Amino acid sequence: MLLGSLFAVLFYLATAILVLGLVSRIRRYARTPAPLVIPTTPAPITRSGVAARMFREVVFFESLFKGSKWSWLFGWLFHFGMLIALARHLRYFTEPVWNWVVMIQWVGVYAGMAMFVGLAGLWARRILVDRIRYISAPSDHLMLALLLAIAGSGIGMKYVAHTDIVAVKAFTLGLIRFDWQPLPADALLIVHLSLVVVLMLIFPFSKLLHAPGMFFSPTRNMRDNPREHRHVAAWAQDLSSTPSDRSQVS
Amino acid sequence: MLHGLTRTVGMIRSFVVLFIFALSGSAGLFADVAKPQIPASRGDQCVEPVEIMRRNHFEFIVHQRDLTVHQGIRTKRHSLAGCIDCHSTKTAAGQYLPVNAEGEFCQTCHTYAAVKIDCFSCHAAVPTEKISQSP
Repeated sequence: MLLGSLFAVLFYLATAILVLGLVSRIRRYARTPAPLVIPTTPAPITRSGVAARMFREVVFFESLFKGSKWSWLFGWLFHFGMLIALARHLRYFTEPVWNWVVMIQWVGVYAGMAMFVGLAGLWARRILVDRIRYISAPSDHLMLALLLAIAGSGIGMKYVAHTDIVAVKAFTLGLIRFDWQPLPADALLIVHLSLVVVLMLIFPFSKLLHAPGMFFSPTRNMRDNPREHRHVAAWAQDLSSTPSDRSQVS
Repeated sequence: MLHGLTRTVGMIRSFVVLFIFALSGSAGLFADVAKPQIPASRGDQCVEPVEIMRRNHFEFIVHQRDLTVHQGIRTKRHSLAGCIDCHSTKTAAGQYLPVNAEGEFCQTCHTYAAVKIDCFSCHAAVPTEKISQSP
């Protein structure tokens, strides 16, 4: 029960920092002015066009595909493997388990492996490609190591050393319903959950912010309409003057 | 900067207060955590300690299957039929219920953890004739 309480406190703390950190970051992103129209052309000229571009960017990583096929392959494998692996984990958070979550359980195992392969590929790129190694900071390597260790410990619990998943589910449900439950003392589980706590803690302060930041990227979320509409940032409204005013001054 | 920090600390503090309040009232305010209600079994003890069975029962069953099917070694210790002998329950009318029926021994946890059971598309989920006749 001591272990259960320790991790309950850790998860509440990590959740609070993750949520508050993300909210304050997203607020900052939303308030940052975009003074110029700088969509990467060719760019859509309508709002629905922008939505479609953003959709392709988020779902297919379009510009990464255009930029680097290897990065795209491993990056996409990792992100969508992780998405399905996370969905598989919903069985620990829902009771009764939603039907579609039951149905994707078997896919989730392979998704976990895809995630592992994708991360390994991205890390290999950082080490093997000279110009990428040159620009890689320690945090780039550590982030990949962290995610790889999370995926590895998860796969390990499936194939090497099992844990009592019924007790694990009681633990997570206990977190949600504020009725703390004991956590099984299995090494891989402790490693897995500890690293997830670390991930949640660093998420709002790291490059992982590209997830919300994507949507605030002016080169992707702007329309290509500088001739049709004069673009004035909100903070510049007071400074702006009409061309006739300016000619009178000069 | 300082203002932002004070505000963040304030938010964390209110969260902690809410959290302690939630804990103090957890028994009454929140629903108890749902856990699988496993039906009682026959026999004094399992073939392995409970803690090990909860983690590794399928390793035993698969291992036994490989020994039996691939190598022809048929032992009793980890046999699936042995599991069913102890872990199936009877209706009031004296009929055995399949162990993979909803609410029965296997299915209770497997539903809870969303794990599919393949065993009983081939194997019998109730004790076999010979065993059910013995007392």
